[in-house]
Amino acid sequence: MKKRIIAAMLTGAMVLSMTACGNSGDAGSTASTGGDTGAAAPEAEAPAADAGQEEAAPAADAAGPVELVVTTTFAGEDSNAQNYKDAVKGWEAETGNTVVDTSATADETFKTRVATDFETGSEPDVLFFFNGADSNSFIEAGKVVSIDEIRAEYPDYASNMNEDLITASLVDDKKYAVPANGYWEAMFVNTEVLEAAGVAMPGADYTMDQFKADCEKIKAAGYAPIAAALGNIPHYWWEFAIFNNQSPANHLEIPESAADEGGQSWVAGMNDIKELYELGYFPENTLSATDDETFAMFTEGKAAFLIDGSWKVGGIVSSCQSDPNDPATLDTAKLDKFDVTYVPGKGSRKATDLVGGLSSGYFITRKAWDDPAKRAAAVSFVEYLTSDEMVPKFAQHGASALKNAPEVDASEFNSLQIKAMNMMAGTTSLTGAVQDLFAGDCRVSTFDGMPEIVTGRVAAEDAVAEGLEAYHNQ
Amino acid sequence: MGANIYRNKKPALAFLLPAFLFMVVFLYYPFFKNILNSFMHLKQLGASATEFNTPWYTNYEEMLHDPNVWTSVKNTIIMMLVTLIGQVGIAIILALMVDNIGRGKQFFRTVFFFPIVISATALGLMFNLIFLRDKGMVNQILEILGKQNLTDWKAEGIALITMMAPVMWQYVGFYFVILVTGLNNISDELYEAARIDGATALQRVRYISVPLLHNVICTCSVLAVTGALKVFDLPWVMFPKGMPLKSTFLTGTYMYYQTMETKNVDYGAALAVLIVVLGVILAKVVNAIFREKDY
Repeated sequence: MKKRIIAAMLTGAMVLSMTACGNSGDAGSTASTGGDTGAAAPEAEAPAADAGQEEAAPAADAAGPVELVVTTTFAGEDSNAQNYKDAVKGWEAETGNTVVDTSATADETFKTRVATDFETGSEPDVLFFFNGADSNSFIEAGKVVSIDEIRAEYPDYASNMNEDLITASLVDDKKYAVPANGYWEAMFVNTEVLEAAGVAMPGADYTMDQFKADCEKIKAAGYAPIAAALGNIPHYWWEFAIFNNQSPANHLEIPESAADEGGQSWVAGMNDIKELYELGYFPENTLSATDDETFAMFTEGKAAFLIDGSWKVGGIVSSCQSDPNDPATLDTAKLDKFDVTYVPGKGSRKATDLVGGLSSGYFITRKAWDDPAKRAAAVSFVEYLTSDEMVPKFAQHGASALKNAPEVDASEFNSLQIKAMNMMAGTTSLTGAVQDLFAGDCRVSTFDGMPEIVTGRVAAEDAVAEGLEAYHNQ
Repeated sequence: MGANIYRNKKPALAFLLPAFLFMVVFLYYPFFKNILNSFMHLKQLGASATEFNTPWYTNYEEMLHDPNVWTSVKNTIIMMLVTLIGQVGIAIILALMVDNIGRGKQFFRTVFFFPIVISATALGLMFNLIFLRDKGMVNQILEILGKQNLTDWKAEGIALITMMAPVMWQYVGFYFVILVTGLNNISDELYEAARIDGATALQRVRYISVPLLHNVICTCSVLAVTGALKVFDLPWVMFPKGMPLKSTFLTGTYMYYQTMETKNVDYGAALAVLIVVLGVILAKVVNAIFREKDY
């Protein structure tokens, strides 16, 4: 009997401990909510003096620190990773709030993680993310707040931005994301390799035929002409190869089928990459190497050309530092060996017609907006990161959406950034990336399937047709 | 009265209930939900499926025509054989050798077991550097030995070997420790008697150690084969997306690829069902082959 009582007591204790565990979480969250209810960013701008809105903005009356969960793409080799860290520290010091940063390098895994977070209700409070098709799912689900809705309470929200440059959503044509900095995609050059191969630095009138002739010389000199991992990140070549068979006027039109005129230009683009592969201009291990490996080939002087985005400036600069985290250790002589120029043109696309724009921005999630403790802090955070003082630091050599962009002090920039600014000054057009509209599983047949296309195992026509069919079935 | 408590099983059931509920919530519910999802139209992880595919068995039909499925199944079966021969086989040899040395047994146990405690992701990154085409450790050694051209260890022809070698290496120590423990359980008196009868060292291994290790080897073999079905992290770190040319997919990595990379979630669910079916069949086959004996 005694043992039975002990057994019953142990069972009871176990059940109680489990219940207590469950309750402790609740208690914690209740306490936290309770604490946060009274919390708000002290610096948050006062909501509109509208009696009807007083109830909607209790945060402004509150005091105490708020913890914001923020996800951005300012991580890894992104040239703004350090700027972002500094900005977050500045905002935390100014407001007393804290940021739980869950930023990561922008790749497909990151996009999947963000989409899954939204689906499972664990989305961040503020999100710096792509404003193209990648954001469709959470906009359709009503999980982010439009700029107009925010302005109803905070009239000055994003008022320093040029309204025409804030991209509208593909879902409902409303504007959600406040842009901070633009991007461009161009061709980085290792001039040391060019010199060794006796090739001149390409200019603004660079054509695909000249490019092929230069690649032949570079290959003959024992270098890899193009640093690209076609089995890993074929994105940049995919974009420009298609663009080279179109024009800035029609590049953003997704074809109805592989057989129509637009579809044929996509097929021709894929076949252009196949031709370069067959000519041996990509590294020997382009199908098995990672992007990091081919990028290392470029920075170590084993490959000449690299098509990539403006964010890669930071990666190249880091590769010239003995300590990648310490700008003071920059080897300026080594950095001077790198240059950036236009991607060779073909047909209706001039070399100076680049891919770029304002494809990302700061979203405030519905979850944060509906949380009285976080609403003001979220607004304050976005306003701090998109202020007239902060945006130029992030935009650097790229575009911004500021109405009154301040003069750039060139002395603050390194040689590659200055070369990038000079290159951008000669740009004749900046067109968005069609792959931003062509997101999801429709990309698989031509992105992940690029090795099969260039090796001839899958015909370019079939791969394009499969992708377009998937796109139109979405 | 005191002994009655052992007859009454109710308190034991009360203790089992929390663990049972845990399994229901975190294993059986997702398992059956996954089977259901494999028939549904689901293109977003975490989203709720609202409609069935048309026809409902679309994913299973697609599997039959998907060359990557056959590649991944073939690679997984190769991985099982490699695991069986490479891991258990090498572990037996190492265990027998270590069992026959006088001193340093503990040292070798620690040394061989050590790779198990290192994260597979970290090992994957390390082997990435070892097999790097440009400046990788293996190619540098070959260069010192006079080889002129760099070898791409991740090229299509040899990628599978490059992927399986580290997996094999990582788990040898695990089976080695199990087998050494099995060898320790064999009475010294048997060896002593054999020695007096004039048995050589090789004969003692052949007629005493190996037969008495039979059941331990069976257990190791079952663990190795079923473990091979679950290998994921190290191959994915070294060969993401089945690189090169989708030739290195295993069933686990292909399921992950379909779910996380291509967002073909319902197809990923169907692949998960295939993995379970494959696992059950192979476990039955292995259990039939490596049946334990009663001594």
